[in-house]
Amino acid sequence: MIERWALVSGLRGDLETYDLIQRDLKKTRGVTSLFVLGDLVGPERNCDALLDRLKNPHSGDLKPDCIYGWWEEQLLAERGFRGERKADALRLSQGEDAVSALLNTVNPSHLKWLASLQFGFIELDCALIHGSSSDVGDNLTSETSPLILLDRLTRLNVNRLFTARSTKQFHLELTGGGINSQVKDLNGKREQQQEVPKRSVIGIGAGLNYTLYDVGSDKTHFLTAGSKTNPKRKGFA
Amino acid sequence: MNHAIISCLHANLPATEAVLNDIDRQGIDTITCLGDLVGYGPQPNEVVELIRKRDIATCQGCWDEDIIDGLNACECSYPSQLAERRGHLAHQWTDDQLTDENKSFLASLPTSLRRDRLLFVHGSPNSQHEYLLPDMDAFAALERVETAGADILFCGHTHQPYVRELRDGSIRVRLQNADHECDQGEELTLPMRKIVNAGSVGEPRHGSTNATYVIHNDATDEVEIKEVPYDVGRTCQAIVEAGLPKVFAWRLSHGFEFAEQAEDASHVCER
Ligand SMILES: [Zn+2]
Ligand SMILES: [Zn+2]
Repeated sequence: MIERWALVSGLRGDLETYDLIQRDLKKTRGVTSLFVLGDLVGPERNCDALLDRLKNPHSGDLKPDCIYGWWEEQLLAERGFRGERKADALRLSQGEDAVSALLNTVNPSHLKWLASLQFGFIELDCALIHGSSSDVGDNLTSETSPLILLDRLTRLNVNRLFTARSTKQFHLELTGGGINSQVKDLNGKREQQQEVPKRSVIGIGAGLNYTLYDVGSDKTHFLTAGSKTNPKRKGFA
Repeated sequence: MNHAIISCLHANLPATEAVLNDIDRQGIDTITCLGDLVGYGPQPNEVVELIRKRDIATCQGCWDEDIIDGLNACECSYPSQLAERRGHLAHQWTDDQLTDENKSFLASLPTSLRRDRLLFVHGSPNSQHEYLLPDMDAFAALERVETAGADILFCGHTHQPYVRELRDGSIRVRLQNADHECDQGEELTLPMRKIVNAGSVGEPRHGSTNATYVIHNDATDEVEIKEVPYDVGRTCQAIVEAGLPKVFAWRLSHGFEFAEQAEDASHVCER
């Protein structure tokens, strides 16, 4: 069977959006997996209903595979699941009120499940991570230096990295290039040439904006839930 | 102007003295030390005090960090379980020996030093525990130097001295995003950058018993790797007398050709 993945992130407690995406996916042909790349929770609204639905899918739902994102990391840190670390990044960027808002949106009964979520998935030659292997908060966009993107791919030794942290939708392919290097040590000199491997970084979007990925043909479709976009038109080889 | 970079002294006083004498003989008075003043060797206080007395600009090494923070590094610090056990022994011994004053000196060391376009670190700009090996992926190596905003990155930690020049680099990309169809493609030209590994004064692993360090000329950017013989026997005897694992003495006296290396050198300890 040809695999087609749906990639979703940044729901931040928004059950309505998740429901729209599930309805979309029901109408879309051939979706085999649904990956939710973190930020299931957020400070804006109560997240309990969405978390219940993710943990216990409705009978018609495509079953979601979830990993944790930046907001879960902040929540879990503040709730003592990350050793000494607290929600320092959130506190620094948005202040104390944001921290207490976040704590209030998630019933503590969900914490154990959230803490059991993985940092990422490796599927075939693809890595699915909220940020990157470097950090859950690594904000990769199409503007990020290709040198950094290549580094993040190299660290994982994968051909494709699906990332969500930036909330942007993009498919950036490394198509060529190379580098020369010369090493001199006490045994002498040696030259080395290396080519840029054909690899990609894909930003999957957030909220209503989600992505379909056709594994066999390496095609990405950027979609918005509830709109009448035909996946074919936005195809990308 | 010539300046000298030393690293990984590892509590080996005879080696440290020999290298400093060698540098002094050449009339070089700017010296930068990339850390690992202690660990493995038998004279931690003596070496720390010598560096303090000479007022040598120093960044913190992985051993210096572990002595201060305790051994809560993940297993990535050690290439094998056996190495880990020996490492723990040496850690405990060093911890017992070091005076409080010397410990607070190690605690006060910065993780990096910068002079204009030159950056000095122990392992990599990411971590004191990351190995920048001479043959690591060239793009990843360049990324470490570039992201840190340096032209030349001086590091140690591998105990193998080398100079690596990364040049003529380019990356072509093609972009598609949600608003428009496929983009024409772009090419990024990468800058020329250098990584200079200072090797090790007190625990060389390049196949000879000599201590190593490097001299950089900041006008011509030429780098010379220096080898200095020292009284290895004196250090070995002190290791045995101190009750440290005998394998540390064996390694010093054999030039330690079969360096134990972390299995995944690119792994960065997350703590
Ligand atoms: Zn060292
Ligand atoms: Zn080290």
